Parts: sequence; structure tokens; C-alpha cells
Amino acid sequence: MWYHRPVINEELLQSLPNLKIVASSGAGIDHLDLKLLSSYGVKVSNTPFVVSTDTADLGMALMLASSRRLVEGYQIAVSPDTEYFPADWLGAEVSGATLGIVGMGTIGYKVAERAKAFEMKILYHNRNRRNKEEESAVGAIYCKKIDDLLQQSDFVLLSVNLTPQTHKLIGKRELELMKPTATLINTSRGLVVDQDALVEALQNKVIKAAALDVTYPEPLPRDHPLLKLKNVIITPHIGSATKKTRRLMMENMTESIQAGLAGLPIPNEVL
Amino acid sequence: MSKKVQAIYLWWHKPVIDQELLQSLPNLKVIANSGVGMDHLDLKLVASFGVKMANAPRAVSSSTADTGMALLLASARRLVEGYHIAMSSGMEYCEADFLGVEVTGATLGIIGMGSIGYKIALRAKAFEMNILYHNRTRRKEQEEQAVGATYCEKIDGLLRRADFVMVVVSLTPQTHKLIGKREMELTKPTATLINISRGAVVDQEALVTALQTGVIGAAALDVTHPEPLPRDHTLLKLKNVIITPHLGIKTDKATYMITEEAVENMLAALNGLPIPSEVLPS
Repeated sequence: MWYHRPVINEELLQSLPNLKIVASSGAGIDHLDLKLLSSYGVKVSNTPFVVSTDTADLGMALMLASSRRLVEGYQIAVSPDTEYFPADWLGAEVSGATLGIVGMGTIGYKVAERAKAFEMKILYHNRNRRNKEEESAVGAIYCKKIDDLLQQSDFVLLSVNLTPQTHKLIGKRELELMKPTATLINTSRGLVVDQDALVEALQNKVIKAAALDVTYPEPLPRDHPLLKLKNVIITPHIGSATKKTRRLMMENMTESIQAGLAGLPIPNEVL
Repeated sequence: MSKKVQAIYLWWHKPVIDQELLQSLPNLKVIANSGVGMDHLDLKLVASFGVKMANAPRAVSSSTADTGMALLLASARRLVEGYHIAMSSGMEYCEADFLGVEVTGATLGIIGMGSIGYKIALRAKAFEMNILYHNRTRRKEQEEQAVGATYCEKIDGLLRRADFVMVVVSLTPQTHKLIGKREMELTKPTATLINISRGAVVDQEALVTALQTGVIGAAALDVTHPEPLPRDHTLLKLKNVIITPHLGIKTDKATYMITEEAVENMLAALNGLPIPSEVLPS
């Protein structure tokens, strides 16, 4: 299964009596009704780990591109109207700034490893606290309450799974807790953010900017306000879009399928 | 008025320091540059008027290193193209075809391992990149080990193995057109050239040809020659090129720190004290 297709519903499952396994590409499984699949005796697998470095890399790419105004800068550099580069045109520094990571799983931790090399101060919020060695390896400070993270961060990066608990995790209240100079970066799922609240926050300068690899839906309708805001970068869900990783994902999926068909323990099974 | 001027703070190469200006300012003692590059100044000419010069090397390194990494990541992951696809009205594309290249675990070749180059190595190490470097002088062993960098005495060795070639040298007569046709032909056809030094370090004509004929894979340029490029220049039209308007140190924090450094230099010069970042004509 790639890009959430085909859609797995009751109708499809009834028409495929010998279906044994659904191997889904990527880490997220929010598009699958696990109970339904289980009721048909169909196993499920995903590819959670192989995507982690690429997604962490993209998170860093979005943070840097947003704060240094890379896309705007590119447009100035190539525009037919440009006569000179303005001297008073500035971005914000990434090195030494404070990064708040919401969701310190595999991907979140890899972001922390990268951010540390930029001498960033790292705060994190997670269901569970990481152990001391893991925290000190990246210099990350645990924020039991998400509010503390939101109030202190220059960049807030979301790398949680989409679950009923994380649905609209970042809404009006959370956005208002953030600094007016802060940037929201989302590489998890569009639905983790209350998109309407985000539009309002960006329009009213409640936060400074947003950089989103994921939205709801994907792609956004062409008249959506997010597409018109100058302080927003959107990329078309390319978190894992590299040749090498796609190949590895495919290898993982074939492994899972072969094990599933042979009745053997399935690597990367989702229970 | 002109007799009162004792110090000049140069901002983005203005004012232009020429014979005429220097003659009109008899009491000029020091020129402090914003930023580290001094290639826009005739150092010998200025020195001949007994005027001291200083740059601001400390304040620029993190911001410029960040710019280098931003360009590397944006180019590898096709961020600008992706942005246009995501934001545009009705552009058709096939999701499965839109792929970039991996940064984690790739090989980065750093040409010029000064303070900016070294900060790039520190950042790249966190991306588990394999780091090669070429420099006039070799760095100490501990410095190499701290970033896992391998010295390439000959630039050819670096060019052949690198997936990303990052140019971070000062512009001098020796580094003028350092990266030309020969060097580009040595790189992998999939390699990306990133230039955050000065446009003139790269042979721009050769770069255009190399990009058009697939000799190199892509380029990301924060600097060109001139800046900005003429609006009909081929580099502006190539799909596999990102150009940015000399972002280098354009952040609020860096400009503040550069100014602080420049003021330090100017006050030292005016008080007859040793200048912290003095630049002498070589």
C-alpha cells in the first residue's frame, strides 16, 4: 500500500477472501482501521524506522528554510524585477535558538541530534520521559507540560503519531501560548494541528510563521488561505521522499509480505 | 566635514573605498568591514594611506554555516520545487515520482576548512555525513577527529568522492575560479555544488555548461558574480539550481554581533590599541 491507496474498507475486504496481509508504506497507520482488518484476520505491517532520518532531515530543512527566508530569497534572486538585493532584508538565526520538540520518538530524537550540532537549546514534550543518558546525549530538557515548551520555544516541531489523543493537539490555546516570534513546523500529520486556528494565528501575527510538510487534506484545496500566506512554507508530504529510503521501504514491505504469506513472524507488524 | 571622519564602517561594500575617497579623508584612521570577506578592498591602497583595516570573522561563522546547511538540505530534498507544487494552482505531478536525494549518510566535501567550514563539519556530522575536506593547511588531529573529517591533500580526491561539494574559501587570487571545468568534470554526475563563499571562486560559464550537460547534478548558490545576476542569465532558468540573495549572515543576531565586533575594532584603532581582527595586506 502506497500513499494510502487502495482505501481499505469493508467492501474491499469482503471482495478479497484470501487477503492475508496489508503492508503499508511509511510510519503512520492513522489511515487504517486496525479493528476492521483484525476482524477479517488480516495482518498489518508498516515501515516505521527506515523513514526516520529522512523525516528528521526534512524537519531541519523546513526550520532552516523558514527562518532564513530561503523561498522568499530564491524568488527575489530569480525575479525579473530584481535590480539589487535589499540591505535591510533579514531572517532569524537558527544557531543558538530554542527548539521545542513535541513527540520525542525515533524521528523526534533524530531531530534533536541534528539540532544539537546547531547549538540549539532543546526542549521536548512526550508521553513518556526519555532516560537520562538519552536526554544528556542531546542536551534535551523534558517539559512535562506542553505549555512550558510552547512558551519558551523559538521553533516548535511536531513529530507525534496521529491518534485520537493527538488530534488537534495544537489548537488556538496552544498557538496563543507560543511566542509571537515563533515558527511552527509540522512533519507528522495535518490533523495534529487545528488548521483553521493556525490560519487565524498566522493572519493575526499570534505566531510568526509555519512550515508544513503535511496538511489536511493533502493537497489543500487551491483556494485555501494557507496557500496565500506569505509566512507559510508548504511541501507536498516529502518526508520520506528520497530514492534510497523508498527503496528500503519497499524492501521492508516485501519482507513483511513474504513472512505474512509464509505464516512466519512478521517484521514491523502493527498490532 | 571630511576632516572629521576618522573611521568608516563598511556595510555591504559601501561606500566604495578608492583613491579619491581616501584622499578626501585626511584623518581617516580605520575601516571596519561588516563581515569577513575583504576581496572588495584594495588592501595595499588603503595601507598606503596609513589606514588600518579590520573584518568581523567571529560573528559570521554560525550564520554562514547555517546558510550552507540550509542550501544543502533545500537542494537535496527539492524544497523549492516542492513548495511550488504544494502552493500552486493546478500543477500536475505524480507523487511517486517526486524524489530527492538522501542527506543522512551521504559524503560531504568541504573546500576551505576555516571557522565557517569547521562549523559546517560540526553540523554535517550530526547528519551522520561522511566528511572530506581540502584546505591550504591540515587541521590538527583532535579537530579532525571531533568531526570525523578526512583530509584530502589534493582537491581531486575530494571531488571524486563527494555527493555534496561545499565551497567555503576566501576569495583571493589563488582561489579565483578554483572550481572550473576540470574540477566539475571530476565530480560525480549526481553531485551538488554549494557555494557560500564568493561568486568568482566558481567559473560560472563552466558551471552553466556542467549543469546543462549533466556533468554535475545540481547547484545551490548563495553567491554569484555579479550580485544580482543579469535577469537574462542562464543560471536563473535552470531547474536544478537554487540561488539565494547572499543570505550568508543576514540574520538579526548576526548583524548585531557584526556591528559589535566592528565597533570594538574601530575603538581600538582610534585609541591606538591593538586591533582585535586587524587585516593586513598580504
